[in-house]
Amino acid sequence: MAISESDVRHVALLARLALTDGQVSSLQTELNSILGHIDELQGLDLADVQPTAHALEVTNSMRPDVVKPCLSRELALRNAPEAEGGAFVIPAMAGAGEDV
Amino acid sequence: MAKDRLSEVLERYEAVIGLEIHTELTSLKSKMFCGCPVEFGGEPNTRVCPVCLGLPGALPVPNEAAVEATVLAGLAVNCDIALWSQFHRKQYFYPDMPKDYQISQYDLPFCSGGHLDVEVDGDAVFQRVDRDSEEEYTARIGITRIHLEEDTGKMIHVGGAEGRISGAEKSLVDFNRAGTPLMELVSEPDIRTPEEARRFAQKLRLIMLTLGVSDCSMEEGSMRVDGNISIRLRGEIELGTKSEIKNMNSFKALHDALAYEIVRQADLMDVGERVVQETRHWDVGAKRTSMLRSKEEAHDYRYFPEPDMVPFAFTEEWVESIAQRVPELPDAKRERFMGTWDLPKYDAVVLTSDLAMAGFFEAAVAQTGPARAKSVANTMINDFSAHLNAEGIGVDESPVKPSMLAELVVLVDDGTISGKQAKEVFSAMVKTGEAPAVIVEARNMRQVSDTSAIEAVVDAIIAANPDEVASYRGGKIGLVGWFVGQVMREMRGQGNPKVVNEVLRRKLG
Amino acid sequence: MIDLSVLSATEIRDGIAGKRFSAREVADAAFARVEALEPSIHAFNQLTPELAEAAADRVDAMVAAGDELPPLAGVPAAIKDNMNLVGTRTTCSSKILASYESVYDCTAVRRLLDAGALPVGKCNLDEFAFGSSTENSAFGVTHNPWDTDRVPGGSSGGSAAAVAAGMATVSLGSDTGGSIRQPGALTGTVAMKPTYGRVSRYGCVAFASSLDQIGPFAHNVRDAALVLNAIAGKDEMDATSVTETVPDFTATLNDGVKGLRVGIVRDMLELEGLDPGIKASVEAAAARYAALGAEVGDVDIPAARHGLSAYYIIGPAEASSNLARFDGIRYGYRVDDATDVLDLYMRSRAEGFGPESIRRIMLGTYALSAGYYDAYYGQAQKARTLIIEDFAKAFESYDVLLTPTSPEVAFKIGEKSTDPLAMYLSDVFTIPLNLAGLPGVSMPCGLSEGLPIGLQVIGRHFDEATMLRAAAALEADLALDMTPSMARGGLDG
Ligand SMILES: [Mg+2]
Ligand SMILES: [Zn+2]
Repeated sequence: MAISESDVRHVALLARLALTDGQVSSLQTELNSILGHIDELQGLDLADVQPTAHALEVTNSMRPDVVKPCLSRELALRNAPEAEGGAFVIPAMAGAGEDV
Repeated sequence: MAKDRLSEVLERYEAVIGLEIHTELTSLKSKMFCGCPVEFGGEPNTRVCPVCLGLPGALPVPNEAAVEATVLAGLAVNCDIALWSQFHRKQYFYPDMPKDYQISQYDLPFCSGGHLDVEVDGDAVFQRVDRDSEEEYTARIGITRIHLEEDTGKMIHVGGAEGRISGAEKSLVDFNRAGTPLMELVSEPDIRTPEEARRFAQKLRLIMLTLGVSDCSMEEGSMRVDGNISIRLRGEIELGTKSEIKNMNSFKALHDALAYEIVRQADLMDVGERVVQETRHWDVGAKRTSMLRSKEEAHDYRYFPEPDMVPFAFTEEWVESIAQRVPELPDAKRERFMGTWDLPKYDAVVLTSDLAMAGFFEAAVAQTGPARAKSVANTMINDFSAHLNAEGIGVDESPVKPSMLAELVVLVDDGTISGKQAKEVFSAMVKTGEAPAVIVEARNMRQVSDTSAIEAVVDAIIAANPDEVASYRGGKIGLVGWFVGQVMREMRGQGNPKVVNEVLRRKLG
Repeated sequence: MIDLSVLSATEIRDGIAGKRFSAREVADAAFARVEALEPSIHAFNQLTPELAEAAADRVDAMVAAGDELPPLAGVPAAIKDNMNLVGTRTTCSSKILASYESVYDCTAVRRLLDAGALPVGKCNLDEFAFGSSTENSAFGVTHNPWDTDRVPGGSSGGSAAAVAAGMATVSLGSDTGGSIRQPGALTGTVAMKPTYGRVSRYGCVAFASSLDQIGPFAHNVRDAALVLNAIAGKDEMDATSVTETVPDFTATLNDGVKGLRVGIVRDMLELEGLDPGIKASVEAAAARYAALGAEVGDVDIPAARHGLSAYYIIGPAEASSNLARFDGIRYGYRVDDATDVLDLYMRSRAEGFGPESIRRIMLGTYALSAGYYDAYYGQAQKARTLIIEDFAKAFESYDVLLTPTSPEVAFKIGEKSTDPLAMYLSDVFTIPLNLAGLPGVSMPCGLSEGLPIGLQVIGRHFDEATMLRAAAALEADLALDMTPSMARGGLDG
């Protein structure tokens, strides 16, 4: 499966990466080279094989409903690029996407 | 929007409605994947930790109580509980979502394939023009699934109008709500009228309250209802293009927004225009929906199994143990109220449509005895409800306690006070919070049933009003009411009306 | 001054306990070596002398009070710079986190320090652990102490080089496809990836959550076992960490390999492109096992040949998701002239991430995107199943398995940096273990043209004890001196 230039641009938008034209073109080449190797998997008949998401058969790992200490607000905002009144500040939302 | 217009549209078009209802599990102590407390409001970013802030290296660990609450909810609405399930990541960038993916469930949710029966009565029956009966009916609404996920943070948009995104210069992000356990219920598109949608949501809310998993506050956003709606010409099978409606912050808003949208879509189709698939926002003030965003750019959430967590393997025994915890649900309670105390359906519905009302009723009847259940129901549905409405308060906030209302019912029933006096006692009770017997005593309101005392008053009235007596005896028997009034006035309202009537009729002869 | 090039962790602890030297003197010796060697190695992104001295003073106070010392008391330890530690920056060697300050501790780091270790500093890595050479760092290349023109391997190249040069006695790395074991092989250190779930990942910046595992570098198997003792065990902050009991991994190290069934993974040994010197060295190691009384035989793991393909889907897919949070909203690099949030996301990420990160994010996003999931991610997950099954079958007949760790010895800086695929092949022997969740340890088994060769010993799930016992037996038998010449002696001492 070859990846086209428009595929690269679409994927870059999904991944929120502003690529230069030069990056788009070199990534198209590199990704196709990597995918060319990976495509050997397409040839395998794995119809009857179950997919593995977790290598070990562990289930039901949960925590009790217990409150633990939070971060101080000072620490929560320690690395904030911009903060105001205890909140993180971001620019206008236009075109940001969607909600839940 | 004129109501007739909706009826007219519904004559020709059938609405197909599905709801997505998000319920925050506010009864839990801690968040979905971390130990931060679940609360509403507060100073921004004071209930956050590395996990719910999505700091580098932090990992989610699921809250066992949240999983149990979701399974409990699933069982309460007749869902199948998956014995094998897991979380997935739903990926999209948004500033209120710390990890830029939401931990949610995808093809392996905890609950699926349930249903809820919704009773529709009154005027709303007419929205179902396809039914030829005007009688109340029950609609069974399928529930596709209930899954568990994490809530997002909140944004305040600064510089624009009314805190809306459009026009804002910047936004402030607060992650206190981020990671609050959130249950998402998706209904089948089985709903046909705005009223069915409203009843479905109301019933679901009552069930969640009964289960004690959430406070279901639509104002505070702990219960949020979104609707998918399309219309099609009656008789057609193919579905129309749907729009998704958001920001329906009350049951009335839910009803009105869907009604508006049905008419809006019909208006388009009537002039041969296409309904566009989009997300629309209900504006309560303007009473209309407006476009929030177009769905033209298809979403690609790139779901994949959450690798930071392991799957859930439930046993039948475990599911059964959760099933044991499902309390008496509203339908069963209504049936019990009808069966146990012989209440009419209307009374049972009103009393069981609010958990506190039902509890109040049961506590009061425990005191009066079952024979006076109907009297308790009457007093609650009339005086008590009127009082709550007038004050705008909930059952628990009223100074009137079950024991007081029970006492009042007994005082009327055993003839100590009249029904009319009871109204006065009730008003005093609301003001002072004093017990009925105390009020009756203090105001000397005890009813006089002693026949000789009443006879003395009646004799005096008859002697003082010879003309009226003559008219009565001449055939104007309607005058008896006037005589009763005279006697009661003389007795300052304390005469037993039954005895007064009986004595008057006898003496007037 | 103390000669840290010859002291094991236990010797350091016992020396402090016996008052032959103080923990503070050990710290001083470590930083003296750093001063001498770091300029030509560049193993560290950040040095933490204040933290190390404070830790040393606590150990010395315990000695003064006559308290029992914890197992790693006074042992200089280096930490890969993708693990959080309060009082340090955690940069992942990325511009996007260049000034990120940790506000909480990584569990494994916390446990290591609670065992008495002295934190020397945070080690360089390939950005976000994407790489096998530690050349993909926003803060410069790390050099191999055996030959500073060569790479130390990666991505935990800084952690490997710090130990190889004796600037730290032990260190922590993280291993997603070989990022501990491969640099271990290239620097002649003992380097272990524990069973998936054995060590908490909490606080280690995730690359691929279902593959990542923290593990130790050390000069010898015993020290590696001591570190594993300290960091292993259930952590309530990591749902994938397991409740499996943690034995004392040092207890059985000297039990020998008599009767132990050792399988050579034959089909991997026949891989094209494997350095003949390495192949011979692994064969020789197998022969030594036989001589030591082990039952040695051949076994195949045929599905492992799909490991690289599966890994280069699963790894980038999970990474693309894990790296979404670096969006310039709550922390990290942000362009200062964004017109709106979308612009902020797009340019902050494009400018903040290096080329290999962008490549992997793109690859992973593509593999998960609509229409491609089944063909790529789904198929890779199924190939993963086959690999797990093949290993399970091999472990029916064998107690441990042997492969080379890396197909070649340390390569020249710049040699592969223009060809991502050639670089990816560095991990062909290590990747299958991550996919199967198995533990593996790389240990030196000889030299090829003066550069270390790594042997990979693979154990069953949660049977690190047997794996380490096998490694310890060969280590004792070979008795190699794996100190690079630049790191010999007490230096000024
Ligand atoms: Mg949702
Ligand atoms: Zn939290």
